[in-house]
Amino acid sequence: MKMWIYLVRRLILLVPVIIGVMTITFVITASLPVHDQLVSHFGTGRIPLTPTVDCSTLGLGNGTCRNPVYYHDLHQLGLDKPKYVQWAIYMENSLTLNWGASDAGSKASGLLLGASSIPIAEVLSWYLPYTLELAALSLFLILVLAIPLGNYSAVYRNRPVDQAARLMSFSGFALPGFLLASLLLLGFTALLSALPLECGNTYFAFQHLYNSWPPTSCGTYSWMGSHGQTSPTGFPTVDAIYHGQYALAGDTLVRLILPAVTIAYGSIAIILRFVRNSMLEVMNLDFVRTARAKGVPESAVVRKHAGRNSLNVTVTILGLTFAGFIGGFPIIEDVFHLNGVGLLLTYSIQPQFDFGLIFGSVLLFTIIVVAANIIVDVLYAYLDPRVRLG
Amino acid sequence: MTTPPASTPATPTRAGRRPSPQLAQIKRTVYFLSRNTLAIVGLAIILFFLVVAVWGFFYPAPSDKLAGYCGTTTSGGQGNPACSLYPKTTVCTYPSGSAPPGPNCYPVESLNPSQIAPTVDLARHTLGPLPFGSLSIDSSNPYFYNPFDGIVKGAEWSLGISAGIVGTGALIGLMLGAIAGYFGGYTDEIVMRFTDIFLSIPGLLLILVILAVIGSTISTLEGRIVVLMGAFIITWWPLYTRIVRGQVLVTREQKYVEASKASGARSGRIILRHIIPNSMYPVFVQMSLDVGSIPLALGGIVFLGFNIFPTLYFPEWGTLAALSVITLPAQLTLCSGGPCVFPWWQVLFPGLVLFLFAISVNFLSDGLRDALDPRLRR
Repeated sequence: MKMWIYLVRRLILLVPVIIGVMTITFVITASLPVHDQLVSHFGTGRIPLTPTVDCSTLGLGNGTCRNPVYYHDLHQLGLDKPKYVQWAIYMENSLTLNWGASDAGSKASGLLLGASSIPIAEVLSWYLPYTLELAALSLFLILVLAIPLGNYSAVYRNRPVDQAARLMSFSGFALPGFLLASLLLLGFTALLSALPLECGNTYFAFQHLYNSWPPTSCGTYSWMGSHGQTSPTGFPTVDAIYHGQYALAGDTLVRLILPAVTIAYGSIAIILRFVRNSMLEVMNLDFVRTARAKGVPESAVVRKHAGRNSLNVTVTILGLTFAGFIGGFPIIEDVFHLNGVGLLLTYSIQPQFDFGLIFGSVLLFTIIVVAANIIVDVLYAYLDPRVRLG
Repeated sequence: MTTPPASTPATPTRAGRRPSPQLAQIKRTVYFLSRNTLAIVGLAIILFFLVVAVWGFFYPAPSDKLAGYCGTTTSGGQGNPACSLYPKTTVCTYPSGSAPPGPNCYPVESLNPSQIAPTVDLARHTLGPLPFGSLSIDSSNPYFYNPFDGIVKGAEWSLGISAGIVGTGALIGLMLGAIAGYFGGYTDEIVMRFTDIFLSIPGLLLILVILAVIGSTISTLEGRIVVLMGAFIITWWPLYTRIVRGQVLVTREQKYVEASKASGARSGRIILRHIIPNSMYPVFVQMSLDVGSIPLALGGIVFLGFNIFPTLYFPEWGTLAALSVITLPAQLTLCSGGPCVFPWWQVLFPGLVLFLFAISVNFLSDGLRDALDPRLRR
């Protein structure tokens, strides 16, 4: 099958998946009691949002009265319409990026410094670059560690090296991320607190292990917005370099190292296992035996013949891992207080629910994951001509 | 390499009767598993935790800091005699700035490490004694509790919740995957597109959304646990469906399936008797892997500040580990002046239990994979 026909077919198949995901989120929302849906949008500051209300709150004497505010709000949100009409409106607004504005009820509005009614798509575009930088750094660490280690452990199969590598990767999977992150933070804070570095002297003070941006006492920058968003690209490190602030760029990278180490250590187990297994499979193939037989040095056999051919599977799993990473690291970003989408999402769920933010991001991350799947499939066919698309 | 005993059965069978192939497969698996040291270590640790869980069922809780797990409902406590001794307290959290809704409530922010910059002088803290059994360091400290009780009582909850989620998820996946793979065609398309929809939503996000929307409206312990397990099952089953379908596509081409079809068996019988039993092995590997990651995921969710359980000190391993870390900065800043005790045991033991459980199921899963896949045997 030709590449473009395959791509078109996959993109058409994407439509039912996205409609399905949005329907699931709609069902979850619609299962919430109407009162909670109203409160999450309008807050509890005014009179109680119930169909009937004590007449004295309306200044109409005693008894129970029909609550006009309730019905007005109900109509404004479209909750008085039939469910299928609500669903259609929901779908239309979702697919036209009309995701509403961030609400005032959730902690996310605190993160946004009290500024409410910012369009959701814009809020996400502020926080996504930071998560992307973190994901890229983590993926870099994984690549640097997992591929050589996996090859090594396949070559020396069942020897102490192999066992140690597998034990290390298993322990990374089994160690709770929040525990490792908190202990690293605590340990490095205790270690670095002896250094008399402060904001004025240098950027590399110990507080900078924590939080994603320099405190405002360290000065403000004309290219940095009030919510930490930077221009022109939005990526903090890139923008700092663009504006010639190399110390600031280094500072942002230093803040990313500990979280990236935690993430890489946690997810290295899966990658290592894939690299090792695909390497083991390739090592038994005929062309590797031929290469050995004709006298190619063992190191070249491992590096060139086996190593390159085992990369196909690795590329697949790395692509999917990166797609999963873009969804944010709620726990790691919470521990280190990094302003990424993961933190934004956890803040948008509690204590109250920010519907627009959470469902906008569900849609966004679903599209990213599905797109990554397609890209990985195409890349796989490109790397291995034997694979036929279809 | 020695030949496996399955080809020559150890116990002589009656003349003219061969042992069933399923039994032979199990014997072969056990044989290869027993040759893998790490898998045996993992199995031993899991068995140890199972024993702890049984012990925990009869274990009375001496510490009133654990009274919370008796539940807020009158039916809570699961028949634990210790629950009748302590008043049912509701330990809750509330957003700071508003008035505390009850006597045992703490502001959310004061327990959230992301709100407190960790400015801790560790030089002031000493390592205290190992506080097994009775812990009576400072009864006025709201954060101190006995991790040992929590771990012993938590074994049944952790193992039960994990087993329930993984078992149900695998059952759904097995059924749907077998149907999709066996019938193929439009059935396959519909089931797998449906599975794709669920697979493409980020897992943790979906769990958090379900817990936040539905979990917030339910206050009983039993109800919360049902919602929790449901949220996990919704995220877990698509993976099993995909694995089973892949395996069934291979199984349905086997000669015995063809023979069964030729002898006039119905589809339901073929699926139940031939397809499912012969496609289950990759599911076991995945199940053993997932059982270990559920307490870790639970810990992560509690760490993010979601009150899954209606009581704060609920004895579940992930919750214990998360709470020990969450309350650590508050505990360290609570102590003013003089030498203080660094509560290392609170972090170490729940964390160690989580770690040991997860790594032992990983060992077992890896051993199972090697034992079940002929290409990886050695």
